[in-house]
Amino acid sequence: MAASDSDAESDVETGQGDAKGDHEGAAVSLRDVRKTYYLGEPVHALDGVDVTIPRGSYTAVMGPSGSGKSTLLNLIGCLDTPTEGEVWVNEREVSAISQRERTKVRGQEVGFVFQTFNLMPKLTAAENVALPLVFQGIDKSERIDRANELLEDVGLADRGDHRPNELSGGQRQRVAIARALSASPAIILADEPTGNLDQETGKQIMGLFQRLHDEGNTILMVTHERPIAEHAQRVIHVLDGTIERVEEIESPRRVETDLP
Amino acid sequence: MEFAESLRLSWRAIRSHKLRSILTTLGVVIGVAAVITFVTLGTSLRADVLGQVGADRTPNVYVWASPAGQEGGGPGAGAQPVFTASDVDAIRNLSGVESVVARGVVPTAAVSAGGQTVAQRQVIATSPSYFDSGGFAEGRAFREGSREVVLNEQAAGLFSPSVEVGDNVTLRLATGNSVEAEVVGLLNGSSGGGAFEGLGQSQPLVFVPTDPFYRTTLEVPGSGESQRVYPTLTVVAEDFAAVPETKASVQAYLENESDAAKLVPGNYEFSAETDQDLVDQIKELLNTLTNFVTGIAVISLVVGSIGIANIMLVSVTERTKEIGIMKAVGAQNRDVLQLFLLEAAMLGLFGSVLGTPVGVLGAYAAAQYIGLSLVLPYEWFAIAVAVGILVGILAGLYPAWNAAKTDPIDALRYE
Ligand SMILES: Nc1ncnc2c1ncn2[C@@H]1O[C@H](COP(=O)(O)OP(=O)(O)OP(=O)(O)O)[C@@H](O)[C@H]1O
Ligand SMILES: [Mg+2]
Repeated sequence: MAASDSDAESDVETGQGDAKGDHEGAAVSLRDVRKTYYLGEPVHALDGVDVTIPRGSYTAVMGPSGSGKSTLLNLIGCLDTPTEGEVWVNEREVSAISQRERTKVRGQEVGFVFQTFNLMPKLTAAENVALPLVFQGIDKSERIDRANELLEDVGLADRGDHRPNELSGGQRQRVAIARALSASPAIILADEPTGNLDQETGKQIMGLFQRLHDEGNTILMVTHERPIAEHAQRVIHVLDGTIERVEEIESPRRVETDLP
Repeated sequence: MEFAESLRLSWRAIRSHKLRSILTTLGVVIGVAAVITFVTLGTSLRADVLGQVGADRTPNVYVWASPAGQEGGGPGAGAQPVFTASDVDAIRNLSGVESVVARGVVPTAAVSAGGQTVAQRQVIATSPSYFDSGGFAEGRAFREGSREVVLNEQAAGLFSPSVEVGDNVTLRLATGNSVEAEVVGLLNGSSGGGAFEGLGQSQPLVFVPTDPFYRTTLEVPGSGESQRVYPTLTVVAEDFAAVPETKASVQAYLENESDAAKLVPGNYEFSAETDQDLVDQIKELLNTLTNFVTGIAVISLVVGSIGIANIMLVSVTERTKEIGIMKAVGAQNRDVLQLFLLEAAMLGLFGSVLGTPVGVLGAYAAAQYIGLSLVLPYEWFAIAVAVGILVGILAGLYPAWNAAKTDPIDALRYE
């Protein structure tokens, strides 16, 4: 990493007020990232993105459908690799490491929350929460303790033995959040976490994110809804694969945290 | 990822499709059962036949002349009477030879005793030393030059009441003449008649001394003298160690110096076989048979494994999304590979574990039906289970590989 510090200096021009353009100390940093799909005509899902997400920040990503929000998140979450440019997560260039290493980063350094929850249907809530730990070879008793602790944190201590199909949408999303947290990742990525939930339930989830942020977690959340985005400190507006502007939210919305 | 945890996850996947898993397993059950049935039957048959043949192994070399290139048919098949009395004497003097028993057949029409007559195609003419190995239930061997006969129990049992030692029998020869003789010995039913009478068979046998009963004679070439000629000889070696050497020297004598060499038809050759040769031949025959039938059974096992491969492919496609989720939360390719391989291996394992007793049951039923006593090939049970697992793994390899290299984003998008 030290070797690439010198390039970092020359590439600083990102135009983002708070972004120093350096991965040093940042949770996430993207440098001139492009993602192009070649299906006959090339589709530029991301067309030169530079952005830095500081540690402990709460950032929302907004933009019209097809503008590249999910693509951006997938790159940061190591689910995908950029066609060009560098993606740094936790001061490590994940766009230049082996697939195996990227899988490790995915399991340990980021936690993903999806719009459609993506829980394993045949596993109980507790087993779902413990799943990332299974692939890291964590001891069974330790896994169980951790899963129960996290389920308690998201207010589902009594639902550990339930299968996803026995839970409500909001409960499923809370299980998914607990799972995202299980490996104590540096950053939580959420792709429209409230997209499939009603307003009231969405608020609960926002309350949970708020608490996670208050506890010092870094959160990057894609959303379509302005009111949801306003819970964050900053909103990155994406348009046609580029960052249109970054908006600072003066006073982010707060939810009354009264988890059931 | 720990092995125990993959085992648990794979087991759960199998259980979540009970009927499908059972039907898939059934394919392997049938395959393994078929293989085990035939292997068990083959083993039992071998043990049965070899038990009969190999029980009283003797240091004998069986000698006869038969058409060149003739395969099978057993000792003495196609034999022509070519061994002269001088040949017999000469062979007796070869080193390593203990004794030579000549054997010929006297064609007959029937045997009568106590007013009853039963058809009998032939009686066996031989010398008293034929009975050196014993096997008498009653009485003794006949004496050369006297009108005496020895019957085996099957032959004695043709009459009711059974013929006993001391009774008189009448041999109706094929020539139309009748000859009276006294029964002096009865052979055990199980002692058999020796290699030339067919192995493990139990037909009625009547033995008579060559003198006076055996009349087949030929003029010895170059001497002008007529001698008895015999179709088959049993050369008894001094001990087991001398058997191979005896066999070789007898064969050399026959080919180079004997009268038989001059008498034998052009396209005939001499055969000399030991008990061990016979046992080996039977073993080989049984092995070929067992392998052939087992080979057919293996085909059903292959069909069973195709069933596993098929169901695993379906399973992988069905669970694409789950694979995506696992990969998204940090599952490595090899974790996914391990999960699906284990699932396939478990299907194979269950199939073989269930198939083995089913196969034994099938073999038991078949053995009961044909009156065979069952010998269980235990090592094959272990092999079957190992093969079951292997079949599962092989069948699961491609589907699991497919699963492992699934792209997480594509998989998560999969509906
Ligand atoms: N696998 C792919 N193959 C081809 N094109 C793709 C692929 N994935 C994404 N795209 C294209 O990339 C662009 C960005 O897609 P992306 O999913 O990032 O949009 P999004 O901003 O998340 O949209 P939405 O709000 O609807 O979820 C779209 O034009 C899409 O068609
Ligand atoms: Mg999207």
